[in-house]
Amino acid sequence: MAVGKSISLNESQFILRALRESKRLDGRSFSEPREVDLSFGDEFGHAQVKLGQTWVVAKISAEVVKPREDRPFEGGFTINTDISSMASPLFENNRQSDDEVIMSRMIEKAIRRSNSLDLESLCIVAGKKVWNIRADVHVLNYDGGLVDAICIAVIAGLLHFRKPDVSVDGEEVSFHSFEDRNPVPLSILHMPICSTFSFFQVDQSEDANDSNNLPERLDPQVVLVDANAQELILSGGDMTITVNKNRDVCQMLKSGGLRVEAYTILNCVNIAYEFAVKTTKLINDKLKEDHAKRNVGNIDQLLSAENDR
Amino acid sequence: MILDADSFLEKCIYSPEGLRADGRRWNELRQFKCQINTHANSSDGSSYVEQGYSKVVCIVNGPKEPDGRSHTFLDKACISVEVNIASFSTVDRKKVVRNNKRVQELNTTIQRTLEEAVLSHLYPRTQIDISIQVLQQDGGLLPTCVNAATLALIDAGIPMVDYVSACSAGIYDTTPLLDLNTMEENDLAFLTVGVIGKSDSLALLMMETRMSMDNLEPVMAIAIAGSHSIRDIMDREVRRHGKQRLAKKGNM
Amino acid sequence: MGVISITVPQGARAEVANEEDLIYEDADSDSDVEMREFNDNEEENIGGSLYVANDLVTPGELVTEETVWMRGHGTYTTVNDKTYSSVAGTITKVNKLLSVTPIRGRYSPEIGDHIVGRITEVGQKRWKVDIGAKQDAVLMLGSINLPGGILRRKSESDELQMRQFLKEGDLLNAEVQALFSDGAASLHTRSLRYGKLRNGYFLSIPASLVIRQKNHVYRLPGNVDLILGVNGYVWLSKRTSTGPSGADNVTITRLEEEAGLEIYSDKNEEIPGSIREAIARYSNCIRALVYKEVGINESRLITAYEASLVYENAGELVDNEVKDAIAAEVIAES
Repeated sequence: MAVGKSISLNESQFILRALRESKRLDGRSFSEPREVDLSFGDEFGHAQVKLGQTWVVAKISAEVVKPREDRPFEGGFTINTDISSMASPLFENNRQSDDEVIMSRMIEKAIRRSNSLDLESLCIVAGKKVWNIRADVHVLNYDGGLVDAICIAVIAGLLHFRKPDVSVDGEEVSFHSFEDRNPVPLSILHMPICSTFSFFQVDQSEDANDSNNLPERLDPQVVLVDANAQELILSGGDMTITVNKNRDVCQMLKSGGLRVEAYTILNCVNIAYEFAVKTTKLINDKLKEDHAKRNVGNIDQLLSAENDR
Repeated sequence: MILDADSFLEKCIYSPEGLRADGRRWNELRQFKCQINTHANSSDGSSYVEQGYSKVVCIVNGPKEPDGRSHTFLDKACISVEVNIASFSTVDRKKVVRNNKRVQELNTTIQRTLEEAVLSHLYPRTQIDISIQVLQQDGGLLPTCVNAATLALIDAGIPMVDYVSACSAGIYDTTPLLDLNTMEENDLAFLTVGVIGKSDSLALLMMETRMSMDNLEPVMAIAIAGSHSIRDIMDREVRRHGKQRLAKKGNM
Repeated sequence: MGVISITVPQGARAEVANEEDLIYEDADSDSDVEMREFNDNEEENIGGSLYVANDLVTPGELVTEETVWMRGHGTYTTVNDKTYSSVAGTITKVNKLLSVTPIRGRYSPEIGDHIVGRITEVGQKRWKVDIGAKQDAVLMLGSINLPGGILRRKSESDELQMRQFLKEGDLLNAEVQALFSDGAASLHTRSLRYGKLRNGYFLSIPASLVIRQKNHVYRLPGNVDLILGVNGYVWLSKRTSTGPSGADNVTITRLEEEAGLEIYSDKNEEIPGSIREAIARYSNCIRALVYKEVGINESRLITAYEASLVYENAGELVDNEVKDAIAAEVIAES
């Protein structure tokens, strides 16, 4: 996703030359994503993801609302992504570029439309009261791989989030504070993980005067996983694949850009799958770690109403 | 518990005899009708495409003087796509908001797919407007729009590497099904591919529903093969129209 | 069910293995036979010189594998050095230059073309002119006749009163003087033949129907002058004393006298009803020829005009059947 063109000719030639020699500026191999640095805040549902220089924060919140008339048994789930010029001067405030629209649609499809959150479990009283889960995502810094980072942050946030326990007595609904009763986690059905691939046409003959170079019918020779901002500006096209560890592809989008052999795409899917397995494990480990930290003195046990049963 | 109506529907989608609800086999396209030069007086290029009951009209204007600075590129033509979905195009008549995100995504996707095929560097400082009017929808909205836009661009005489043709395909159990209609799209996992010419390489790939990784390969393969057939049908129409034109040129 | 798989591509253009077992309903199967023949031809000819001039090709089609050809408009090449077509059109060969001319397309200006245009923008020392091409043409302040004679230097006051000569929306006829590297045209009106247009009626037709000729200004029967712009813009007007074709033999001294401020006047003269009727008749004749896609020149237009006199009212010519009849007569004549 070339969000803007702010790279000097020297730099671009340098990066492309390096790619031609199978090198990336940050020393990664072509199919190596950046390390995911995931951490949780003090509050439930507050997740922070750093992917290289990209820095994303997601905060999950819940409120009780009336369900939609046509879906009385389902709760709501909305994702708000805030990409301001704080993240990078490439983004404009109060104006969504084409790329941002595609990005937010992609996140929507990856997480919401793939049913990763069980909406029926959010029902309190059918047709009257349901939980509405809201994910607010803030991009604090941008260096490529935005969809990937946002997706991890939202999923981790959802898994980390706890909503107050509810008891229903006829028409009466009472909410229990966190002190009263152990808060309940959301029911997450699967964990979609996004991987972005960027395609480059690095032909041997491709030097400065490309105005005379007509487009070539060759496959791009270079496929980069998790490109950073600089690489994205130079890429001839990109593709985002969302996979979970059950080998389901939840979403795929390659909107134009360089033509890529179907065979290459299938390879990409496999790489995306490996990344999904690795990341799922990372999220689960971090959650356990966080849980252990919170659970000092076994408060969980003390508060649990289902203790002896 | 499976409701009776559900199981009935299941059977309808793909019967054990290997027939779909509308009587097609797994690898059959819907009837693909196309015409170019439908609006000769009001545009530089125009086309009309029918894929089953999905019907689309496309108008191309340009290359022309760009509308202002934001549409001017010094190294290539600016291609802008606008899809307009008629509110009567679906069964439930609802007003489609113009700046709907889905439509915006559609615009951008079509635009970027075509940019890859059009030799836009030949026309710097110009603008090519593509406007697509969707008259009727029955699945395969994106592929129908892409195909219509290709034909209209060719009619406008805009140089392209090759035809861009797109087609959708889904999976039923383990059987891939080609070119889905709305009913099938609602029930099955499917994807859309767009290829340039008769190659195996994709310019466009879009999947919005969950599909197992292992089914990806057959579905993609059949969608690509379907796109190639569509390219052939479109090519035939372009030749038919071209011959007709050349015959008339005798009058010059 | 055939075995479907995606394999590692062999070479740049790999075919899908199972393409044969794909069925589609054919929209018009009668054209199928023709297609086959065409394809067979292609197979046989690969390696040799594929096509003769005027053969129809479509985008992405291999035109020739030979490398001796220079590739012109409408073609492109890839790393394998073969020449492919990029538009749907006919092959043109001029010496070693191979190009494909699209069937349809916008007017592309050439030096010396006599065109009719409309001012779209008044800018710094130049006007932008819509001539129906891919980009607006440029008319420099230095390329027009100024009131007071041709040899006068352009002063700053001229720059300030550019709108008094030509303003947005004004029609003019001009000649293409030069082309820029991106294909845009630069115009000039430095002859009495050219300049601002008035006393008439504008009509736009496809540029492809205008037959390029030495002269594009005609004096037609019925006291009507016609400027048939090569770009497909047409101007029909009342005949003036210094009629367009009469201006050919103007000497420089005469030009000085003529080039008063009135050449940029906006005021229309009184046009009698009979001439208005004739103008309407001519414009409808042109439309009739366009309707049947018949190329337009002076003699054909006069034939059409004479044929149209059968119909008393010029308005009757808008009927499609009448258009057919007139066009048929013109084709029979030529």
